[in-house]
Amino acid sequence: MSPAATCDVRVREIEPLAPGLKRFSFEPAHGGLFSTPPAGGHVMLTLRDGARVMKNAYSLVSPPAERARYDIIVRLVAQSRGGSAFLHHKVARGDVLEMAPPLSLFPVAATAKKHLLIGGGIGITPLLSHLPELKARGARYELHQLSVADEAAVFERLLAPFAAGAEIRVHGGGRAAFDMAGLLARQPLGTHLYVCGPRALMDAVSGTALALGWPKGKIHKESFGDTSGGLPFKAVLKRSGIEVEVGATQSLLEAMEAAGVAAPCLCRGGACGECRTPVIEGEVEHRDDFLSAEEKAAGTAIMTCVSRARGPRLVIDL
Amino acid sequence: MTLQFKPSETFRDTFTYAKTAEDILRFPFPFPEDEYMYSVNIEPHVKGGPTAAFQAVFDIDEHYVAECRERAKVLAEDPKRCQVLPHMMAAEWDTLELIMESLAADYPEHFTLTKAGDLWTWVNRPLGLQQSFTFGKAETLPCPPFEFITRQAQGDFTLQDQREDNLFVDGGMVTTQADWSLEFDIGMTFHEWHGPVPLAHEKGVFDRALKYLMRLQCGQPVRRLNWTMTVNPRLDTSPENYPVWGPDKATVTPENVAEKVHLRVELQTLFRLPRSNAILFGIRCYLTSVADIARVPKWRRRLHRVLRDLHPDIIGYKGLPRYRQMVIDHLAPFDDGVPTSRGIAPDTDTLDAAR
Amino acid sequence: MSDQGIKSRPKYQPIAPEPAGRHHLLVVEGAEVPGGALAEGVSPAAFEVWTVAHRSAVPGAPVMEEAAGAVRTFRSVPHLLGALQERLARERMGLRLYGAGTEPFVWDVFGIAQAAGLGRQETGFAHVGTQARRIFCVHCRAVTENVSTSIVTCSGCGASLFVRDHFSRRLAAFMGVQVDAEVPGEVPEAEELYA
Repeated sequence: MSPAATCDVRVREIEPLAPGLKRFSFEPAHGGLFSTPPAGGHVMLTLRDGARVMKNAYSLVSPPAERARYDIIVRLVAQSRGGSAFLHHKVARGDVLEMAPPLSLFPVAATAKKHLLIGGGIGITPLLSHLPELKARGARYELHQLSVADEAAVFERLLAPFAAGAEIRVHGGGRAAFDMAGLLARQPLGTHLYVCGPRALMDAVSGTALALGWPKGKIHKESFGDTSGGLPFKAVLKRSGIEVEVGATQSLLEAMEAAGVAAPCLCRGGACGECRTPVIEGEVEHRDDFLSAEEKAAGTAIMTCVSRARGPRLVIDL
Repeated sequence: MTLQFKPSETFRDTFTYAKTAEDILRFPFPFPEDEYMYSVNIEPHVKGGPTAAFQAVFDIDEHYVAECRERAKVLAEDPKRCQVLPHMMAAEWDTLELIMESLAADYPEHFTLTKAGDLWTWVNRPLGLQQSFTFGKAETLPCPPFEFITRQAQGDFTLQDQREDNLFVDGGMVTTQADWSLEFDIGMTFHEWHGPVPLAHEKGVFDRALKYLMRLQCGQPVRRLNWTMTVNPRLDTSPENYPVWGPDKATVTPENVAEKVHLRVELQTLFRLPRSNAILFGIRCYLTSVADIARVPKWRRRLHRVLRDLHPDIIGYKGLPRYRQMVIDHLAPFDDGVPTSRGIAPDTDTLDAAR
Repeated sequence: MSDQGIKSRPKYQPIAPEPAGRHHLLVVEGAEVPGGALAEGVSPAAFEVWTVAHRSAVPGAPVMEEAAGAVRTFRSVPHLLGALQERLARERMGLRLYGAGTEPFVWDVFGIAQAAGLGRQETGFAHVGTQARRIFCVHCRAVTENVSTSIVTCSGCGASLFVRDHFSRRLAAFMGVQVDAEVPGEVPEAEELYA
């Protein structure tokens, strides 16, 4: 499946929520309405900063019924690849950007008896996309948001519309004061767990849940915020006979795209499996959620959108 | 495009169903080549295509009103032909939204959808319906949303929930089916549902199709064609009513084979739905008699060759043994051996005389 | 034609506690865990076991307490299934449920498990005892129990039904389709297949 064509969107509003946290609201640049956004869905923005082209994925936080606009919330990241800095500093109301239509890789489970949502920091955004749908369904849900103390009020404000009759708690003391094991141990049969935030939090939550006997199929993770690069390396595309230098702040996929290679991709977040590429030589540092532990250990495939070479050189079958 | 609906044609008892010349030429003939085997023949469902049947998200043709009436009759006799498991309510609303918006956009002369916030008004002129309701509030419709809208569409529909790395057929409106039972199959996984299909499992067709479909994305629907044959233009060839329609098969003779035997094509479409993440599977059925197919030179040559060389397991599974040879014998004199062009287009815009 | 090659037919495996589970509940159709239900080397003590005595003079058993190795006895299959519904409604995440018995029994258990929110990853079933089948007549919806032949007379509409290998977990039954629908009276000889 090839990614859908992008469309032009105009920035209709930029709202500062907190220092380093802004909500961007977009509308179709040529009029009309957006398609109904998927619950838990995200869009990919193409950001052109001079000669540099960045493609970043952001969760949609506007409700499915709202089709005149799509909203995202962006945190300014100090060591960002440049996408968040570009949006925060260089994008203004009225600007036109390219947006790929929304994808859903983090949907709401239909058969769940209860939904338990855990967010960390800016990882709240896909959960904000779930909440209108859960509310519309009359579903039973509980949300715990982990936060640094001075952002707790911001998250409380964002969650307020969904708090009536549901347990929603913002933990301003971060993970230290959060009884994760107790929470996961007391959930009724048929609960589904959704977690989004820093990788360490997602690993801790899913690890704790698995240890308590939760089946994998009821633990849903959104990769988010883990877009940090790594050491530069050289990728050799054996079939195309092309060599690509992958920079420290770039993914392998982005480097190949910059070199004009039409590499397969869909989610750009290590989840969908579309960009899976056979590895001929070199060691892989796996960062995806698609390959199994066995496949990762075998090291014969790489998900080019998130994973990197462990050494200076990687030969792939592309 | 002006459609002349034929509200009184029938698909049972009197079988007054008939096709105009335009309707024959828009038939989605199912064979792109002179031979047939199962494959993952899925392509993007984009407008345009080899015949006029591909020009809308949900195709409407001259049989629309009559097919909706036939559906109402089947449901009156057997309400369980429409069932949706309770966890699929979000998918029901997704379906209603998708079909209403698509029909209103593709056929503005026949359908109108107006919205004032959550208050929607739907007008279906061919069926003479007008309904105001609140989106998301099932009690504001005369029946559940999935049933409400699929009573007003041609073809069957099923709803698939995606979980546990699989697709489960957790709902459907199934009144024009090629011999499968929703009542029996509801709740099954993708492989269980397709369990009875021969050969394709061993070829890995369902494994690959399932992986592909689980990655299906909103706004990027896909389609494929499937086929079988039916004696008489009967839409309801359900297992439930097999004792009613099964005897038809023994009524085929060399004299009536061209009029009685119909090529039955399913234009299958698959849509990822936004709120529910479910997949809507449309199974739009088209019936064309062997006599009508014989009026298109490419199609009559190809149908002859496909049936002649068909794998024995497929002949059995599709229920063709009683009359397949009669169809081949009827078509053989019209197959001059000339090569046919690739693809399913008729390669003509006029029909030969009936033969 | 005892194997019709149809893929909806369940595949069963001897039961072993799934390592990721927190607590393991095994329900069986008889008074004992049947031989062949458990994988080699697996002891019934790894499970909380629910059995059916098929007699009335059985004292009540606590259904809510969790304990590996405990054996609780119920008077009949409906008695056990009712208690199972109550138990699952109050259970927490981490439970694994297993069933051993005839096909109608294990898939009735699965239906209760599914309604309680358990998925296929949280359940496991072994088919032990009779191979006889429950047949669902696709024409009249009547169920005919204990069918061991390739063709059977429907208990509801009297049709001669061919027993198809197509299996519905929801109905815990195989499909029966009228064998002489095309030419009434053309009924082949029934074969004894599922004893």
